[in-house]
Amino acid sequence: MVTESVAAGFPSPADDYVEAGIDLNEHLIARPSSTFFLRVSGDSMIGAGIHHGDLLIVDRSLEPRPGRIVVAAVEGAFTLKRLVRHQGRLRLEAANPAYPPLELSDADDTRLWGVAIQVIHPL
Amino acid sequence: MAFATVLIDGNNFYASCEAALDPALIGRPLVVLSNNDGCIVARSAEARALGIAMGVPYFQVRRQLERQGVVVRSSNYALYADMSQRLMATLEPWVEELEVYSIDEAFGRLHRPAGAGPGKGSRGGDLSAWGLALRRQVRRHLGLPVAVGIAGSKTLAKVANRLAKQNPIQQGVFDLGAVPDPDPWLEQVPVEEVWGIGRKLSRWCRLRGVATARQLRDLPSGELRARCGVVGLRLQQDLRGHSCLLLQSVVPAKQETCVSRSFSEPVTSLAALREAIATYLSRAAEKLRRQRQRTGTVTVFVRSSPFNGTSLYANAATTTLPLASNDTAVLLAAALPLAERLFKPHKPLQKAGVLLQNLQPVEQLQHHLLVPLPPEQQQRREALMATIDGLNRRYGRGTVQWAACGLRPAWAMKRERLSRSATTRPADLPVVWAD
Repeated sequence: MVTESVAAGFPSPADDYVEAGIDLNEHLIARPSSTFFLRVSGDSMIGAGIHHGDLLIVDRSLEPRPGRIVVAAVEGAFTLKRLVRHQGRLRLEAANPAYPPLELSDADDTRLWGVAIQVIHPL
Repeated sequence: MAFATVLIDGNNFYASCEAALDPALIGRPLVVLSNNDGCIVARSAEARALGIAMGVPYFQVRRQLERQGVVVRSSNYALYADMSQRLMATLEPWVEELEVYSIDEAFGRLHRPAGAGPGKGSRGGDLSAWGLALRRQVRRHLGLPVAVGIAGSKTLAKVANRLAKQNPIQQGVFDLGAVPDPDPWLEQVPVEEVWGIGRKLSRWCRLRGVATARQLRDLPSGELRARCGVVGLRLQQDLRGHSCLLLQSVVPAKQETCVSRSFSEPVTSLAALREAIATYLSRAAEKLRRQRQRTGTVTVFVRSSPFNGTSLYANAATTTLPLASNDTAVLLAAALPLAERLFKPHKPLQKAGVLLQNLQPVEQLQHHLLVPLPPEQQQRREALMATIDGLNRRYGRGTVQWAACGLRPAWAMKRERLSRSATTRPADLPVVWAD
């Protein structure tokens, strides 16, 4: 008994090589449910390649470790800085010498909102 | 092996969503208003602490809220729906089965590890640590606080969730299946607050002297069955931890779809009513297409304001389509004449809606002689609908719409204090300051 359907006509030899187009979401975002987009305003992170008007992709599931660029909630606003360990203490540093660092106390880790993973910059 | 049923829900979900994307709201009292900025439907913990009540009409407390420095927001459904979908995706890997119960709550099922429980009620290992870890992850990944109730059935999970919220010492997690004796906990729950009890059954319970969930659980089953039928019995079995209400991971296909709204100001012209009906119908048709369904019956209903002094006018009109459809143009052609029939010049309308019934899956073949369009034209219509839905999904509702819906209508929902669609619209993304 034949149970499978048989397609009429010659199968396309390309069928086995079909690939979907590149999906940037899939490429740039590993964990969509904890990933958020933010718009950058200002030039304090220019040394890290992040410019005014850029689109920032932030993953809140990542651990904010020293060295990472993080979004912190400071005085009611999101601020973008690099988390740095300095003389045994954590602080937030701009990537632009014109801006002073911001010291973090131990209780401040709740202010760290997420870790920046990508920046999209129009040329 | 024993299973545990859990109920996870968001605390003050709408208010928490607002604060999750706007750091200016962290730690501030915040309330969210219902449609048309009518009543308070959500309060942040800080707003609760000020004694602001749920369900109060906004206009009554507007001054007081201003004085107390309470932030007021209109309902931002796009934001809440997106955060809800993220919440459910985050919960999924934590359980073996997940039933999304509403925008901010879900039941889950998972194996309860074996444990050496000391008391009579304890049947397995404690899942509190599991619940705390889950809670921590949701808080960190989404910025949303949730409560986790763990027990042996859905009804008990609801009770446990309530206890988790009421007792700060539980830190938002309560495992009723792991306590040595659940009775004192069940004593704390008034019988009216047992999930799904209904007014009739709870009144009977009170008359019978049953005041708490514990007493309902221990009532003789025969009596309950004789008086309240199988519904009461099932509820009792669930309270005893014999899971009767199973999870519904597969949502049954919807039998009907309804879109209705109250108007921000009374609608007194036929033109405005037509626009409103066209808008609701476009929404309903989009829903149908998403659910891969067609409708066979279109109903339009209207209601006048109960407060304007004149007698109440409420009416509905229905038409049956010769062939089920989800094409907005076809449905508009059916619905707009109904709106015209219902309109009365001297009855200012307060609410109107569209109800689509007799829904059938798109896949269902229609053996019908009255096929209105040749197949290739039909395909073009379907492609057009798909394109419109795609554009509206991508660029926001109303990007492409039927002219019948009108531009900037006066009756449209009032949302004067709407926050930005911070997760769904590129122009509305939150700003991160690098300065």
